[in-house]
Amino acid sequence: MLLLAKAALGIGGTLVLAGAYTFHEGVIRVDVDEYRDGGSHVHFWVPAAAVPMAMHFAPQRKLMHGAEHAREFLPVARAIVREMKKYPDAEFVEVTDATQHVRVRTHDGKLQIDVDAPDQKVHLLCPLSTIDEVTRQLEANAPAA
Amino acid sequence: MSSHTKSFFAKTALTAAAALLFLPLGALAQTAAPASATPASSEKTTTSPSKDRWLHVRVISTEAKGETVRVNVPLELAEAVLPSINHDRMHDGKVKIDCAHVNDVDLKALVAAVHNAKDGEYVTVQGRENDVRVAKQNNYLIVHVLDKSESKSKGSQVEIKVPMKVVDALFSAGKDELDLVAALHVLSGQGDMELVSVKDSENTVRVWLDSKNVTE
Repeated sequence: MLLLAKAALGIGGTLVLAGAYTFHEGVIRVDVDEYRDGGSHVHFWVPAAAVPMAMHFAPQRKLMHGAEHAREFLPVARAIVREMKKYPDAEFVEVTDATQHVRVRTHDGKLQIDVDAPDQKVHLLCPLSTIDEVTRQLEANAPAA
Repeated sequence: MSSHTKSFFAKTALTAAAALLFLPLGALAQTAAPASATPASSEKTTTSPSKDRWLHVRVISTEAKGETVRVNVPLELAEAVLPSINHDRMHDGKVKIDCAHVNDVDLKALVAAVHNAKDGEYVTVQGRENDVRVAKQNNYLIVHVLDKSESKSKGSQVEIKVPMKVVDALFSAGKDELDLVAALHVLSGQGDMELVSVKDSENTVRVWLDSKNVTE
């Protein structure tokens, strides 16, 4: 019994530490629903810390390819995210009409994009620090001009 | 260690392990609170310091769909981001003006002339279709256009009020260039003000500057 308890405490402690590290930056949440025939329904949550970590294991060639395509936008994206981090709870864009609602804001240090339209719903929540890290890694992998 | 103590320790350890296992789930539940649970934008204020200057754009359409557009941009953010955009006519926070579109008018010289001139009305046109007034008043460049060409219910009114310092900064770059970053930098030092107001029967457009990120 005592041995079992010690083992459980050890495993539990390890899992908590791993969980705490994995979720310390929150989660990336993507919800996409297209209300039409064959429309996409995508729903996933990913620990935000896992994305930059996973990029370290991505093939260098693929990263360079992605970075090359995004090269023009990476400095702008980084500048926007770096500045947005100074405004962790702010409303930047809101468009509403009788049937649609689009919103771009920061909430608790996360970029939140919501699109509510009759034919589709898109909700994206991503920590700004994760976007910053991803763009930084892509920039670092961009081939020299 | 007595069997009673051992049993107590084992139970405590198991309870602690179980509690530890459930801790991340609680944290996750908080992290992933639904977006819809957040307060409505109209009730939301920013947590940024009050010294921040925000440029607000609001477009309200009174057409059937009743579209409303609200854009709130911290000037500091715009100042930092614009220099990183190097695309088409934009580079280093400056935008190139097409000479062909200003009909050989030296805008820089024109702005310098207005800057050095005393306050007064520079252009006053009162016609059957339009009233136009361009003036310099208390170091503000003021443009007023009243369109009377259509029926009275469809007429539009445009009011622009820009500090001369901002206009000077805008034209401080080289020839055929507007220095947006310099203009924004000067604008951030100005007090709360309405810069642009456009009203017609279908749309209302307002551009203003203040220290709040409160959606009205």
